[in-house]
Amino acid sequence: MTTRLIDETLFDSADPPRLVGARCTACGTVVFPRQDSCPRCSDGTMSAHALPSSGRLWSWTLQAFPPKPPYRPPAGGFEPYHLGYVDLGEVLVEARLAIPRAEIRIGLPVRLTTVEAYHDEDGTEVLTFAFGPDREGGR
Amino acid sequence: MSRTAEVYVVGCGMHPFGRDESVTGMDMAERAVREALADAGVAWEDVGYAAGGSDVSGKPDTLVGRLGLTGVPFVNVQNGCATGASTVLAVANALRAGEAALGLAVGFDKHARGAFNASPARYGLGDWYAESGLMLTTQFFALKTRRYLHEHGISERALARVAERAFRNGAQHPLAWRRKPLTEREILDSAEVSPPLTQYMFCSPGQGAVALVLALGDRAFDLCERPVRLASLAFRTRRFGSFEVFSPWLPPGPHRSPSVDAAEAAFRGAGVRPADVRVAQVQDTDSGSELIHLAETGLCAHGEQERLLAAGDTDPTGRIPVNTDGGCLAGGEPVGASGLRQFHEVVRQLQGRAPGIQVPGDPRVGFTHVYGAPGISACAVLTV
Repeated sequence: MTTRLIDETLFDSADPPRLVGARCTACGTVVFPRQDSCPRCSDGTMSAHALPSSGRLWSWTLQAFPPKPPYRPPAGGFEPYHLGYVDLGEVLVEARLAIPRAEIRIGLPVRLTTVEAYHDEDGTEVLTFAFGPDREGGR
Repeated sequence: MSRTAEVYVVGCGMHPFGRDESVTGMDMAERAVREALADAGVAWEDVGYAAGGSDVSGKPDTLVGRLGLTGVPFVNVQNGCATGASTVLAVANALRAGEAALGLAVGFDKHARGAFNASPARYGLGDWYAESGLMLTTQFFALKTRRYLHEHGISERALARVAERAFRNGAQHPLAWRRKPLTEREILDSAEVSPPLTQYMFCSPGQGAVALVLALGDRAFDLCERPVRLASLAFRTRRFGSFEVFSPWLPPGPHRSPSVDAAEAAFRGAGVRPADVRVAQVQDTDSGSELIHLAETGLCAHGEQERLLAAGDTDPTGRIPVNTDGGCLAGGEPVGASGLRQFHEVVRQLQGRAPGIQVPGDPRVGFTHVYGAPGISACAVLTV
């Protein structure tokens, strides 16, 4: 089965997954996804900046009902999913969470992974970024 | 400032909120305008400046085809949850600038059922954000609430108390949509939507319309026995470091909301303190938002909400009555009308003729607050 990333501009690499944002050369502000101007200062230029792959869960919730389009459900149909913000130190990133409900808590060490978002009409599996439990982290 | 230069609300009208398939957004707006004009004892021909807002239900200025083709200047506003406040601001500024002595602000909407869906392009975001299921306002409210409860040690029961009071107030308000009281237990046990928020902790998109007649200085006192002074109105967009709806990323904290800026400016402009407020409207798209906005606007301290709610301090008979008409939770949220509903309720409270529960003790200072995407807030202080 062929796979592709939901939007290549979000990723620095696919395997292992690594997200890429941008960093302001003047004030150091890190943003995600990339943008060409700094939302904080008007002085700097923005350069590509790979984000850390592990961090801690900052907040979380569940999406219990199927969102309206332009959301695209996975091939097997909508299933409730968790999402949250992950604190990567220099920036907090919003993401899907691949974490069992019983384990989810603020402060949980997490690591970047990918999950199925949906399938293209030609059957290609489309992957988006997510964070799962970091079994190595937090020790 | 002399009375001559002050702007007052001298009439208000409101079409009941809820669901009514027999009327369009424009139908409701026309009825609200006619009611407001009658309340002020003026005719449409007397209106020298108008502003109207609707998110999805038509161009407001086409209302002149129904009300009368008088040539009146009529500004259309589409400003999300701050639409109502923006119409009031446009009219008040026009009156102060001498364009007219009498103005009208109207807001209306009629939304489809179910949660709002937003276009990523409209918010400057990639398609991936919505396609992967991250672009829902309900998620933002839940994520901000979860973090807030964690940081301030507040229980989920406090969220249920907010909704319980909203439906209790709404049950006694003839213009509210949700008219059935619910217990804390029923609210906590209702369907999980985005935890910690349950089904009955969220408002629903709905329909409704509200209109206000505003007048300048002496004209206001000629028209109205008890005109309500627009003591201040402040509108702010977000600054760097705020935690907003539809944010794929956030800077590390602390996160300061535009609600803080707008409320500070409104209180400063009016020369009153939050502690002076005797009837307040605080945006309650969900229980968590009201709870957070109470502190962001300065009406209480961060973390104080649990005690405030448990003691009944935000009840109509409490120290600081909040959302006495049931707010968005009981009224639903027709985006264009929702902010003006707040004005309607506070004006009627300050005039001693609340449609629902009247706050006792002749309240003299009222406050309104809205918050919305993509990080806007408007606050007003109203006095008699």
